[in-house]
Amino acid sequence: MWFFPHGCKGGCNTANEELFKTLSDAVVSCKKDDVIAAVEKAKGKAPAVELIDNGLAAGMNEVGVLFERGKLFLPHVMMAADAMSAGVEMLQDELGSSGGASSKLGVIVNGTVEGDVHDIGKAIVSTMLQAAGFEVHDIGRDVPVQNFIDKIKETNADMVGLSALMTTTLQGQKEVIELLKENGLRDKVKVMVGGAPATDAWAKKCGADCYAENASEAVAKAKELLL
Amino acid sequence: MATEYFLRMGDGQKIFMTKEDILADIAAGCADAADLGDIPTLSEDEMDHMLDIITAPGRIVGVEPGMEVPVTHDIGAIRIDGDQGNSGVGIPASRLVGSMIHERAFGADTMELGHIDYSFKPVKPVISQEQQTMEVCQQNMVIPMLYGAMPNMGLYYTPDGPFENPGDLMKAFKISEAQESIQKAGDHGIRDMVWIMQKLQKVGSDGVNFDTIGAAGDGDMYASLNAIEALRKEFPGMYINAGMAGELVLGMHGDLEYDGTRLAGLWPHEQVLLAEKAGANTFGPVCNTNTSKTSAWNMGRSVTFTKAAVEASSIPCHADMGMGVGGIPMLETPPIDAVTRASKAIVEIAGVDGI
Amino acid sequence: MPIAHIMASGMTGMRAAGDLVARMQFAKNMRIGEAKDFVAKKLGVENADLSDEFVMREIREDLDIGVITSVPGCAKGIAAKMNIEKLLGIDINCCDTFRNTIA
Repeated sequence: MWFFPHGCKGGCNTANEELFKTLSDAVVSCKKDDVIAAVEKAKGKAPAVELIDNGLAAGMNEVGVLFERGKLFLPHVMMAADAMSAGVEMLQDELGSSGGASSKLGVIVNGTVEGDVHDIGKAIVSTMLQAAGFEVHDIGRDVPVQNFIDKIKETNADMVGLSALMTTTLQGQKEVIELLKENGLRDKVKVMVGGAPATDAWAKKCGADCYAENASEAVAKAKELLL
Repeated sequence: MATEYFLRMGDGQKIFMTKEDILADIAAGCADAADLGDIPTLSEDEMDHMLDIITAPGRIVGVEPGMEVPVTHDIGAIRIDGDQGNSGVGIPASRLVGSMIHERAFGADTMELGHIDYSFKPVKPVISQEQQTMEVCQQNMVIPMLYGAMPNMGLYYTPDGPFENPGDLMKAFKISEAQESIQKAGDHGIRDMVWIMQKLQKVGSDGVNFDTIGAAGDGDMYASLNAIEALRKEFPGMYINAGMAGELVLGMHGDLEYDGTRLAGLWPHEQVLLAEKAGANTFGPVCNTNTSKTSAWNMGRSVTFTKAAVEASSIPCHADMGMGVGGIPMLETPPIDAVTRASKAIVEIAGVDGI
Repeated sequence: MPIAHIMASGMTGMRAAGDLVARMQFAKNMRIGEAKDFVAKKLGVENADLSDEFVMREIREDLDIGVITSVPGCAKGIAAKMNIEKLLGIDINCCDTFRNTIA
């Protein structure tokens, strides 16, 4: 997935708005064929960057909202993400000619800290971040502190997401942050904490950059911090 | 300057707000639940009653005499001894002693025996110990004594269990494989839960508390409802509580159904109907506390969701009112002012049958 | 926290009649009002008395259904539950198991 940091460059007229809505609706339908057909029709009628930004990406945002509201489920999120990728791929040539820049939103390493075997909440956050356009490296659960550092270095990550579901393992989040400092990485890497016992107050106390209450908030806060 | 009243944030921190601001937060919390669940919000009178509860001058509040309800305590048998992150207080004591302390010293209305891990799966290899402990508890206790555990389907996925991790499969866009894995884990979980409870019923357990149903999404609920159905069929007199993990059943699979109803995306007032159909005697609605919001917002939201479930239900509803749910702050030592206020509101406004 | 809930909203178990009301909820799916009506009728008291330690202490001793303090000679454990079975007209699993053991 891709990020296009442009708005409606030439202004959004009514015809374009309809075009964008068709693209957005196609993504929300979670059907790859619908997205491909919609992109085929839309191609050339507006700059590719706008078709993606205001059409496909807007649809993906809507998918996130519907997931939070229990109207769409994880498989739908992934199908929509897959469909959107296919749509973006079709616009690649035009992107080059129009000078549009495309890039990943950012690179995130996600994991549950050592001693904590809870995986599912963190996996949902990883999936939602990935669907939103981040490059996510989910390194699993019960992850030794050093492994976070190694993966961050290996992937040149912009952010690390630290999950913990138990009050006893919460401290592990702080340990990763301390090791980031020791390795001189803290200024370069943003830190997000989450999991049932984590709170805003804990994020401040342990020196994280943010706390996310759920998967949708994780996406929103990652965008705030990285874009 | 307007008078300010003290209340709590969802993480337990003390804050001060005016009556107007508290009422606005109550209304916003109610509206959020009503919007998400497509359920009625609370009436103005009910919101005013909640405001009175929150701004009551005493540190501790309680229900009006005559409105009391049974209060149980999940995992209580190890609450005394527990010291591994389960909110236990680390006092060396057997589970029998823990249970009897709750019965005789704390005045609990019902109790449950739980394993230190509190999930069903790890009980299987130590079932004889659980049976023995249940027998001893039943010989000594008078109040209803259930066996409690979490379905916790997460333990059935790699690297903890035999089935491929659906989270990993999903991220690799292997959607049908992920769904298949969830279904298989669910079927395996049903077998384990039924087998464990067969053994415990044999030695005199009053029944079972399925605690945090749906923690691993719709597969978790699929397994739990089918296990409840099987147990009800085999043990008509068994006490069965179906307690949820959160207000929304997350769709990890998305297409799993029980009795023709899709499980993903169900809210408490919809969940209870299936629990009832499966054969549960009591249902535990849950609403998670948002730690970034005030207790007024959280109580408004929690009571709105719970009231809708209570009204939709024809079986007793025992609301889950533990740490970080039901409007209670997410803190291992939740402030007593906040706990008693949430407790009173859920009984007097939501009309629950128990806690 | 359980104590806070019990003090704020609970029927206080064997201090009063909370265990009996809870049993009827579990055994017969009775909602709170129905369960209280049922138990109050069996005990010959008002619903409000079910949480009243003063009223219930004497009743529990008279019926020998278990009291919260350590009273020598009072029925305890399964013995108390067998008396509860008779009082409420229900079967309790561990009492059945016990009877099967001694049969």
